[in-house]
Amino acid sequence: MELTYEKIDNTVLATLKPPEKGYWVLVSLLLAGVLMGASCWLYQILTGIGVAGQNNPVAWGTYLINFVFWVGIAHSGTLISAILHLFRAGWRNPIARAAETMTVFAVCTAGLYPFIHLGRVWMVYYMLPVPNQRLLWPNFQSPLMFDVVAISTYLTVSSLFWYTGMLPDLAIIRDRTTGIRHKIFKIISLGWTGRFEHWRHYTRGYLFFAALATPLVISVHSVVSWDFALGVVPGWHTTIFAPYFVAGAIHSGLAMVLTLMIPLRAIFHYEEIITIKVLESVAKTIIFTGLIVGFAYGTEVFIAWYSHNAVEIETFRWRAFGDYSLEYWIMVVCNTVIPLLLLFKRIRTHIKWLFAISIFVNIGMWYERFVIIVGSVGHDFIPHAWGLYTPTIVEFGIMIGSFCLFFFLFVLFVKHLPSVSMTEMKESLH
Amino acid sequence: MAVKKISVLGMFADENAAASAVKGLKNTDWSIDRVHGPIPSHKILDALGMKKSRVGWFTLGGGITGFFTGFLLAAFTATRWSLIVGGKPVVALVPFFIVGFEFTILFAVFGNIIGLITQMKLPDYTEVSPYNIRFTGDRFGILTHCDAGRKAELINLLRAKGAEVEVVEGNDDKC
Repeated sequence: MELTYEKIDNTVLATLKPPEKGYWVLVSLLLAGVLMGASCWLYQILTGIGVAGQNNPVAWGTYLINFVFWVGIAHSGTLISAILHLFRAGWRNPIARAAETMTVFAVCTAGLYPFIHLGRVWMVYYMLPVPNQRLLWPNFQSPLMFDVVAISTYLTVSSLFWYTGMLPDLAIIRDRTTGIRHKIFKIISLGWTGRFEHWRHYTRGYLFFAALATPLVISVHSVVSWDFALGVVPGWHTTIFAPYFVAGAIHSGLAMVLTLMIPLRAIFHYEEIITIKVLESVAKTIIFTGLIVGFAYGTEVFIAWYSHNAVEIETFRWRAFGDYSLEYWIMVVCNTVIPLLLLFKRIRTHIKWLFAISIFVNIGMWYERFVIIVGSVGHDFIPHAWGLYTPTIVEFGIMIGSFCLFFFLFVLFVKHLPSVSMTEMKESLH
Repeated sequence: MAVKKISVLGMFADENAAASAVKGLKNTDWSIDRVHGPIPSHKILDALGMKKSRVGWFTLGGGITGFFTGFLLAAFTATRWSLIVGGKPVVALVPFFIVGFEFTILFAVFGNIIGLITQMKLPDYTEVSPYNIRFTGDRFGILTHCDAGRKAELINLLRAKGAEVEVVEGNDDKC
């Protein structure tokens, strides 16, 4: 049966019906994971940062790995909601809302890691442009300060973009609910009634949001890459890092979109809205970003060899054949080889294959950050300073907690707010 | 004696029909009070002949303010101690441009939000009447006024364009 306005509304509104017991079991399990992670962080605060495995020479471990990983996950949400909106790619409409939500929650999760990594978290105000008791100001020449500005801007802009995009849908829910839910949605829909006097400004404002989010998303991961590239460390100090990081971020984010959308589609019976064609389009984009990432891996090795710089050559030799060679090859295979399977139509139109490949890319992209961060500082200029790094149980606890936090927020979202943009779906029927 | 006015609400399932009705009404002396719709139909916006929104000016103003705020904040903090860091000038253009860029985006978005709030005049929790909940769902609605004596003429026009018609003021009869 063909999609109609009414059918779209009914399908999406059906997802907001009171959940079954299984939903609350899942929410409780995820909450338990969040509390476990929070307990590990509290233990670290009370005991000291030494409970984490980060030490000389690897001072940036899982906290920075996860920070970069989650910021990366966020990026494809903006690609789908903003960049593809500007390109008028109609296939993004069914997944735009969930992808934007993923962006907001992923940035929230990422944003926790600098706090965790600080150790003495109460000193966080040192990063803010306020003079502290020693009348010192933050150094805005530092890429770490670029990061503070970029990530807080990204979180603010993504959240506002997400909420603005949801406004017409909130009014739909307001008009079809009663009691306390009606009151809540009445407040948060701001009195939206779909008047064309409102649409006139709204469409313009939304377009500007997309136009602003596009350069922002590219700048944010470029800035994250400069945390590394501006450091004189072999394997880091390279101009390829900004585009390499942006492509990698979108690669990982698209994989996470598939990881989230495939179960969402099955549980909420979104098959007619999130069609196999939509998932196939995401898969095709993953092939493209995977090739860029693969090209970046190859370029790094080539430039190290071509430079005749002994330290660079040794860094990349060690990455591929040293103590972390397993992690390196997991990265290469999961991010560049496995996505090539999507070149086959039978695979990219098969739900189970798509889901499995998305998981592999997620794993591969986590290891990419591991290889970049640990693989460079663990083996830099001076052989007697070389060392290895292993995360401690506290770090694992915090990492699992952060994953639980992301999925906890997402699971809460899908049952309380529209996970598909009804308005944009209706627009795509024209 | 004042002529009695009535309001007529036409509801359309089809965007093209609604746009055509708007055009038709524009050519008469009846006034269109409000037009609602579940999607931002450009056909209807064009038919209404609405001017381009001024939200962009707020966005632009925010962006310009943001760039100078970011750049000058970085420059101001650097000049408090005037220390040479990493061999770069105290007011280093390239790194401070990055701060300026991020603030440009941030403040442009703030400007955009202020523009939307002020132009759309939202939040507005006063009850809109007449209103049909299908306007956010699957119907385009046109609210028009006419003299009571010309009610039938207006209703016929709307029906001819494919509307379900409801007289909502001055007469409770469903037409």
